[in-house]
Formats: sequence, structure tokens, C-alpha cells
Amino acid sequence: MPVYKRSYRSYAGPLTPAWRRFLVITRYGLEDAWQSRVTTRLLIVCLVPALGVAFTIYLFNSDALKLLLGVGVGSGSFKIDGNYFFGVFRLQCWLAMVLTAWVGPRLMASDLANNALPVLLSRPIRRREYLAGKLAVLGLLLSAVTWAPASLLFLLQTQLAKNWALSHLYILCGLLLGSLLWIAVLSLLTLAVAAWVKWRIMATALVFGVVLAPAGVGEMFNQILNSRWGSLISVPRLMTSIWQRLLRVQSIPSRADQLLPVPAALLALALICAACLLVLNARIRSREVVRG
Amino acid sequence: MNDRIVFDNVSKFYGEVLGVNRVNLSLAPGITSLVGPNGSGKTTLLNLLTGLIRPSRGQVRVLGLEAATDTTAFFRAVGYCTQFDSFPPNVTGFEFIEDGLLLHGLSRAQARELAEEALGRLSLLNAADRKIAGYSKGMRQKVRLAQAIAHHPSVLVLDEPLNGLDPMARAEAMALFEALARQGLHVIVSSHVLEEVDRISDAVVLMASGYVVAEGDIGQVRREVRDQPMQILVRCSHPELLASQMFCMNHVVEARLHQDGGGLLLRTRDMDQFYMILNRLASEGLVEVESVAPADQDVHSIYQYLIGESGGTPTA
Repeated sequence: MPVYKRSYRSYAGPLTPAWRRFLVITRYGLEDAWQSRVTTRLLIVCLVPALGVAFTIYLFNSDALKLLLGVGVGSGSFKIDGNYFFGVFRLQCWLAMVLTAWVGPRLMASDLANNALPVLLSRPIRRREYLAGKLAVLGLLLSAVTWAPASLLFLLQTQLAKNWALSHLYILCGLLLGSLLWIAVLSLLTLAVAAWVKWRIMATALVFGVVLAPAGVGEMFNQILNSRWGSLISVPRLMTSIWQRLLRVQSIPSRADQLLPVPAALLALALICAACLLVLNARIRSREVVRG
Repeated sequence: MNDRIVFDNVSKFYGEVLGVNRVNLSLAPGITSLVGPNGSGKTTLLNLLTGLIRPSRGQVRVLGLEAATDTTAFFRAVGYCTQFDSFPPNVTGFEFIEDGLLLHGLSRAQARELAEEALGRLSLLNAADRKIAGYSKGMRQKVRLAQAIAHHPSVLVLDEPLNGLDPMARAEAMALFEALARQGLHVIVSSHVLEEVDRISDAVVLMASGYVVAEGDIGQVRREVRDQPMQILVRCSHPELLASQMFCMNHVVEARLHQDGGGLLLRTRDMDQFYMILNRLASEGLVEVESVAPADQDVHSIYQYLIGESGGTPTA
């Protein structure tokens, strides 16, 4: 038997901290998302309402501009408060859903459809870090269209209106908490759907389906049984219940009885998130599936 | 034992489906080939080896490391080239390898250096900045190989590594495996191209129905199959005379002239007796012997002996 000199040396140089390696997955995901012009256009569309609202806030606080434009806002019933921010915020959040439905499936479906996980997970990165990397992509994108512009609008109002900030600080907290909750629910839901169907276009359609179809069923349940508990399967109603409480929104009396108690809404959302995690746990498998 | 890959009574079940059962292996550095038909458990064994799945029972230790407890060191020690032709969309060959190295925890500067080195070894430097989507099948196979060796692993696991490579690239890749194995690396190859596996392997692991049916160097495995007659090719003058003499012996079960007429293929149950008779015939000047060589010490023959036709056609 030949005897060879064992000259092979494994790499023994310095390493980066393990905790931040999931950011490689995030960078991959962001680069992939930006390859599509649709992503850029959707992001711009998502930010347009915020620009309009910024103008409204400026107009509301500028008597000179109001005089110039001949509008009479600033007195009477129009106020910039929790109700106003709720309307703005809700619009931003639903636009964020459109953005997520486009970007989210790109992140997960192709990896699973092409059996790319064995290559990725044969590196020192675990499934939860892989998932964290993907969630971070959605977290960054959704932050850019939810709490970030909403907070800037709040700061704008703070700058323009004296003695307003302290009495309305709950709005900022509500915007942040409401956004984080929505980002978490939406991201997990989208990735779970993408992991389940492994087909990007189908997953995009299905994201709307899993959010809106149960909402319709829940509404039917409410109407038929004259109840509000059907809203427990309606993500829009669950989120609205929580956002309204966070932003101290005065409900329209006729709709007040349709809102769910916040603990019940939170519990329902937690169950939805848990179900999504179960799906992701089942689907994000490092082993190759060989048929034949 | 820390330079070995050890499977200690390893079983893996997927629910009620058997992946592999009671596998005991101790693999030394060098090239080890994994051979078996579809569903024999090769992929499960590779996945256990690379830490992608955990055993239901038993222990897998790679150079003394366990995936569950020494996670980072374990995955740094292993390089895996899967059989799947899948890549992240819109990346270049260089980016694919560089990002893999960043996942291993290398700094960007080091990652670039090692990515270039790996691409250079596979003669892909010219195509490094092109998108992988525009690569030929052979180039994609090469870039997968490059990502597997880029971080300087101690164990290289290759699932169908020669698929899609043209003859020149195959020869280059095999030369690379041999060079790495000579330097002390473990190279585990699963392939259905038996002739190539045979040529480069230091050891083989034969699998069927989730069990390891034989392991060791090919000669050693062949010796384990004692109840099977051995096939020998004798190159000599007057092969017909040799055949007639050999047929008188009980241990010879088959003798046929080689296609080119310049040799005799014999199957015998007693090698010692065979050599004694051959020596006698040669010393008496009845035949002039040019060469004597075993004709069935290749993986395919051994596999057929062990598994038989019922085992299916050996593929990876």
C-alpha cells in the first residue's frame, strides 16, 4: 500500500461570530428580492400614501398654506389623533401585505422546490437560523412600509404641533407594537404558505386566500349566528381589534360589538403563528427526498 | 480513532420506513465508494454522515466529532456536494462559493481568497463572474464541487460527483479526488459509474435494503465471498490446451476462451490448486503464460455476487 505524506490542512483561521451568520441568508434574500422590478414598484406604491399623509399633516399645521390653498381644515371635527393614525396605519399595513405576498414566496419556495436546503444546511447554520435569515428579509422590507414611515409621520406631527407629543405618545407605542405584531404574523404566514406549496406564483395567490377566505367565512358565521366569535378566524378582524385598542380608537357604535377582546385576538394570532411554525418545521428539512 | 468516520450501530427510520439499519462502519482516509441500488440507503447514509439528519439509534462520529454536540466544528469538517442541480437564482459562480464560505464564518477577504482558490482548482476562474444560470451542466457540477472543497474540509462527501462532466472534466475531477485523498482527506463518493469508482476507490461500501452487505478494499471484500468461484483471466499460448487440463479439476466450474483467442477465462473455487496446476503446465512447457489476473475484482462483479440479480441494477 502506498504511503503518502499527509499534507492536507483544514482551514484554521479566525471565524466570524456564529450569531450573525444568518445575515448571509438575509443578504441573499434581499438581493434576490431586488432583482425584480416589481418589488421596487410595489415599495414605491406602498410609500406613496405616507407621502400624501405627510402633506396632510403639514397642511393641517400650517395656517399660511391653508390660507393659500383655501382649505378650512384645522378646526372643527378634523383632528390628528389615534383615529387619524389608525386610518393611515391600516392602509400601510394592507399595502405591506401585498408587498409580502410578492416577496415572501420568492424567499422560500425556490429553495424548497430545488432541494437547495441540503447545500445550505450542510454549512454551520441551523434550520432556525435559516428561517431567521428569511424572516429578517421580510422584517426589513415590511418595516420600511409600516412602522418606519408611520413613526416619521408621528415625528413630523410632533415637530409641527406644539405640546402634542407627550399627550399622544401612546400612538407611537401603538404604531411600533402593532407593526411588529403584523410583521410577525404576515411573515410567518407567507413563509409557511410558500413552504407548503413550493410554487411561487401559487403561494402569492394563496397568501391572499388564507387571509381573506377565513375572514369571509368568519363574517358569515357572525351574521348567521349574530355573534362576534367568528372573527377569531379572520386575520383582518383580529388585527383591527388589536390596532384599535393600541391606538385608542373610538369605534363606530354600530361596529363596536364586532370587535374581539384583545386577549382573545392575541391568543388567536398566537395559534396562527404556532400553526405556521409547525408547517415550517415540517417543510424545512435538510434531507434530500429522492424518489424513484 | 480520531482520523476515522465511525458509524456505531446506526439505524435511521422515517416513521415505519427503514432508511438504514444497524450500520457499523469505520472509514479511513482515502476514497471510499458507496454503491447500491435505488432505495438501498445510500442517500440516508450520506445525510447521516453530513449531519443533515440524526440517527434514530446509534452514533455517527466524524473525526471524533458529533453533529449534535460539536455542531460548528462538525460542519466545518465536512464538505458536501449534493446530486441536485440547484442554485440560488441570479448568483455568479464566485458569489455562490463566497456566500457559502461566509456561512462557514470566514471573513469576506478570506472568503474571496478561498473562493478563487476553489474555482481555480476546478478550472472555473474564467467563468467565475458569470451567472450560474448560464453555465453548462458540467460547469454547474464543477461549481458544486468547488463549493464543497472551498472551505478546506477534512471530509468530502460527493453524491454523484461525476454526473454531467465530459470525459476531460471527469478525468480532472477524479485526479482531484485522488490528489485530495493522497493528502489525507476522506473522500466519500456515491456513484453509479462503477468503472470510475472502481478505478479510484481505496475502499467500497456495498449497500442493499438499508443494510451494509460488505465493506473494505475491493480485494478484501472479494475474499469475503468465499463461496463464490473466482474468475481469472490467463493470457497464454494454447489456451485451449490449458482449458482441457483445467476441466479435469473439480474446483474449476467454468472455462471459456477469451474473445480475442489469446487467453482463457476460468472460474475456480480453489485458487491454490489452480496456481499449482498452472505452474506445472508452465514448467512442463505445455503453455507459455503471459499474465494471470483476477477478472472479477471490480465493484460490479462483487455487487452481483453479494446481491444477485434480485438486488436490482446497481446505481447510486
